[in-house]
Amino acid sequence: MTTAPLLIGHPLASKEHARHALLYMCRIRKFEEAVEDLFGRGMMHGTMHLSIGQEASPTGMCMALNLTDQITSTHRGHGHCIAKGADLTRMIAELLGKEIGYCGGRGGSMHIADVDTGNLGANGVVGGGIPIAAGAALASKMMKSGKVVVSFFGDGAMNEGAFHEAANLAAIWKLPMILFCENNKYGMSSSTEKAFAIDNLKDRALGYGIPSVNVDGNDVVAVYEQAQIAADRARNGEGPTLIVAETYRWKGHSRSDKNLYRTKEEIEEWRLLDPIPKFVEKILESKLMEQSEIDAIQAEAQDQVIAAVNEAVKAKSAEPSGLLAAVFKEISA
Amino acid sequence: MSFKYPVVMPKMSMTMETGELIGYHVKAGDSVKTGDVLFEVMTDKIDMEVEAPADGVIESLVAEPGAVIDIGKPVLIMLTETQIMAFDFSGDEAPVVAQPVALAVVEAPVPAPAVVLNNDVKAVPKARVEAAKRGIDLRTIQPTGPDRTIMMADINSAQADPAVRKRQAANKALIAKGIAMGREIPQSSFSRSVSTNFDHARLISSWARILRSRPDLSIRPQVGVAVIIESKYGSALPVFKDPDLMSLADLTSLISSTSSAAVNGKVPLEMLSGATTTIFDLTSYSMNAATPLLFPNQITSVTVGYESATTRNISLTIDLRYCDFYDGAQLLDALAASL
Amino acid sequence: MSDRMLTMAEAVREAMSIAFDERPEVFLLGEDVGIYGGAFGVSADMYHRYGAERVLDTPIAELGIVGAAVGAALAGMRPIVEIQFSDFTAQAMDQIANQAAKIHFMLGGALHVPMVLRTPQGSGTGAAAQHSQNLEPWFASVPGLKVVVPSNPADAKGLLLSAIDDPNPVIFLEHKLLYKIPGRDSVPVGSGRIPLGVAKVVREGKDLTIVATGIMVNKSWEVCEKLAAEGISITLIDPRTISPLDMQPVYESVEKTGRLLVVQEGPSHAGFINEVIAQMAGSSSFGSLIAPIKRLAGMNIPIPYAPQLEKAAVPQIEDIEIAARDIVKNWR
Repeated sequence: MTTAPLLIGHPLASKEHARHALLYMCRIRKFEEAVEDLFGRGMMHGTMHLSIGQEASPTGMCMALNLTDQITSTHRGHGHCIAKGADLTRMIAELLGKEIGYCGGRGGSMHIADVDTGNLGANGVVGGGIPIAAGAALASKMMKSGKVVVSFFGDGAMNEGAFHEAANLAAIWKLPMILFCENNKYGMSSSTEKAFAIDNLKDRALGYGIPSVNVDGNDVVAVYEQAQIAADRARNGEGPTLIVAETYRWKGHSRSDKNLYRTKEEIEEWRLLDPIPKFVEKILESKLMEQSEIDAIQAEAQDQVIAAVNEAVKAKSAEPSGLLAAVFKEISA
Repeated sequence: MSFKYPVVMPKMSMTMETGELIGYHVKAGDSVKTGDVLFEVMTDKIDMEVEAPADGVIESLVAEPGAVIDIGKPVLIMLTETQIMAFDFSGDEAPVVAQPVALAVVEAPVPAPAVVLNNDVKAVPKARVEAAKRGIDLRTIQPTGPDRTIMMADINSAQADPAVRKRQAANKALIAKGIAMGREIPQSSFSRSVSTNFDHARLISSWARILRSRPDLSIRPQVGVAVIIESKYGSALPVFKDPDLMSLADLTSLISSTSSAAVNGKVPLEMLSGATTTIFDLTSYSMNAATPLLFPNQITSVTVGYESATTRNISLTIDLRYCDFYDGAQLLDALAASL
Repeated sequence: MSDRMLTMAEAVREAMSIAFDERPEVFLLGEDVGIYGGAFGVSADMYHRYGAERVLDTPIAELGIVGAAVGAALAGMRPIVEIQFSDFTAQAMDQIANQAAKIHFMLGGALHVPMVLRTPQGSGTGAAAQHSQNLEPWFASVPGLKVVVPSNPADAKGLLLSAIDDPNPVIFLEHKLLYKIPGRDSVPVGSGRIPLGVAKVVREGKDLTIVATGIMVNKSWEVCEKLAAEGISITLIDPRTISPLDMQPVYESVEKTGRLLVVQEGPSHAGFINEVIAQMAGSSSFGSLIAPIKRLAGMNIPIPYAPQLEKAAVPQIEDIEIAARDIVKNWR
């Protein structure tokens, strides 16, 4: 089994909640490490964008969401998928170009969607998912489905017109939407200092008349707490919220990144702010679990990822024969 | 294109085998015009001035004055823009006795049939399909479509009933026989390019007028110009008699009515004989050049080939027994000038 | 009630209203589609009939509007998004070409985008280069988009209903000059659909096949009428859906006529109609051609402003007439 039931609520609400938060952060970490390894062995095509160091943000955000609530994701989206409950085997299989992959090998790393867990899809275009999330939130409002829609995006996307147009639509229509910015400090090589003339990205929300908040993106508890407030606002018809989660990606933008635009010291500083030990410390403080239990959860996450890789590697490769028929959805009679 | 052309000791009488070079009228580097005297030759009978066969520049003098030179051997070399071809079919040896040496590489002329079929046939797709189906060689089809493209109408008109095909075969045999007889005649061809602002009437009329000034080149007192026309039964050769004595307008209308009659295989009887020369107009066959061969009892024939949208290639073939290269070149120049 | 003569604007409105009545998940969004009734009045009165929630006025934000339509479609709605002028789809092209068109394929079929993007296109109004383009090839060249170009009110109604039914993104290109003109044929009452991807043989003749799109179908019709008096009979084919393209009637017709004239409003270079020529050239019907294929298209220039310049930029009835007559007279 590579999935685990989703659990909603505060990461320290109970032992189960703590276990869930830790397991999911570890799954993301181990998944990304496995991807890096497989890519390095030449088993994966294309490129990949790793979110190691950012695990607390999607985990904390998704613990405030119901299974039916929806997300849109980004090119650096493995963590969002996993946090929303995606199947690890199907994810790895997709990256390996297998038939059982989420997209049957047609999408790859940047295009995983999972209807069952409310994942409307990762996006290869920076900012591409934000208007889509607004539309899904519009549908939620029109259909009175009660769904909250979260759009994950990075700091880079906040300078796209798509962010502006979608934020404005969400604001004027009071959509049940959360604009979740993972500010990992760099849009590829451009730092937020170079790309923004404001010091705090959350100030952008002022221009749309929506509330916004900064949060330590490496603290799963802090992320959850702000996410829950935003989700409540959305469910209560109060409209969108902008959450700016301050975090950091340890790895380069993609495989080809030589890290020329940042220092080793800066990376090292952020490594010390690793979200997983930070949460472990809180668990131990809260006395919800012993260290041995924590170790077991970390080992469990690793085993799940290894099992997923083993299963995916053995799966049948995707065939080109069905490609033409896959372009359009068939019209049902 | 520039051609390197050796001007040779000409054969000026039936018995002449050599000639003595008396002296040059030109030196290397001189520009000459057609008809300018190049050198003087003394034979056993007469002294002759040899004239430039075409406009050009003298490249070099080959022989020393006073030398006795075999006929066909070069006396001087000139550079000319005009392609001058010469063949001799009378001997047993390879027929080429003189040929231009192009500065650029050109294919050595070879004895050519009177009609050179073009392989670059343009045809609408359906015409190709139908021709393949009906066993028709598209190269034998006369294109009447825009830009000389074979249309379905052309294919359909080529589909004849057995009687027509029989007459076509007979016509072909007749022409082939004439050409075969003509091949025995020692002959030479010249060609040059002219601009296209002439029609059939002007061509026929001009050529007749030039021949009228040379009664020595005709076996008949009158000038009869045979013109090859496509007909229902294959190539027809109606003869226009003394066309230079008619007005251009009359000639135009005669050509037009004869052509329509010929297309249906109805050339008036009186127009079936009396030819002293033949004109092959091959422009509508996509052919850019063809060396006309002589029909028996004719000393000259002219071919018009398609060269480009604005130019035509005119070839003249002469019977060397009655007419030499220089006569031929002058006749061609005169024809070109009159067009 | 019997069939009536409607303008294309009325026919489109009627189709939308039928879809609104049939399915609660259908809604219209766009700039000024509400109380204003749309820039060309296509949605007039729908705001009063269906309310502000289903006839949704948006800010001037094409990318956001189309993105919202894509997202709503993913989430179970069936949005009809109106972009005021097709030229402005350039603002929204990421959502059209990178998102809507690709989601179903790229995401392995997990999701689909039942969205219709309606937009007026074409020249003839003096609105100049940024409000007059014919962008058929932009959309037709993106796999994953269906592209409909109705030439008359009856087709517009039936095709739009099918477009709304379709589970895939459909770009619906309406010619502005046709909005106010009643069609030649009456528009059926009721909710009859015309399937996408089925070309219409508008009239049949034996001398020439004309394939034309959008308003060029109407211009070609005039030519067919005029040349019929000269004894030239023409088959006129309207593909109606340019993506996917139904070539079968074109092949069948050319096998009878042997001559093909294609007409489009957009610029000739890399234009949509070239696809018709390419498919014909590669088909077994190619051998039926007794004449070169003739293409009439717009000049390769932005649409100019002054009326005489604008007219010169795209094929006119006279151009089609001359081309049609020449091809029939010159090639036998």
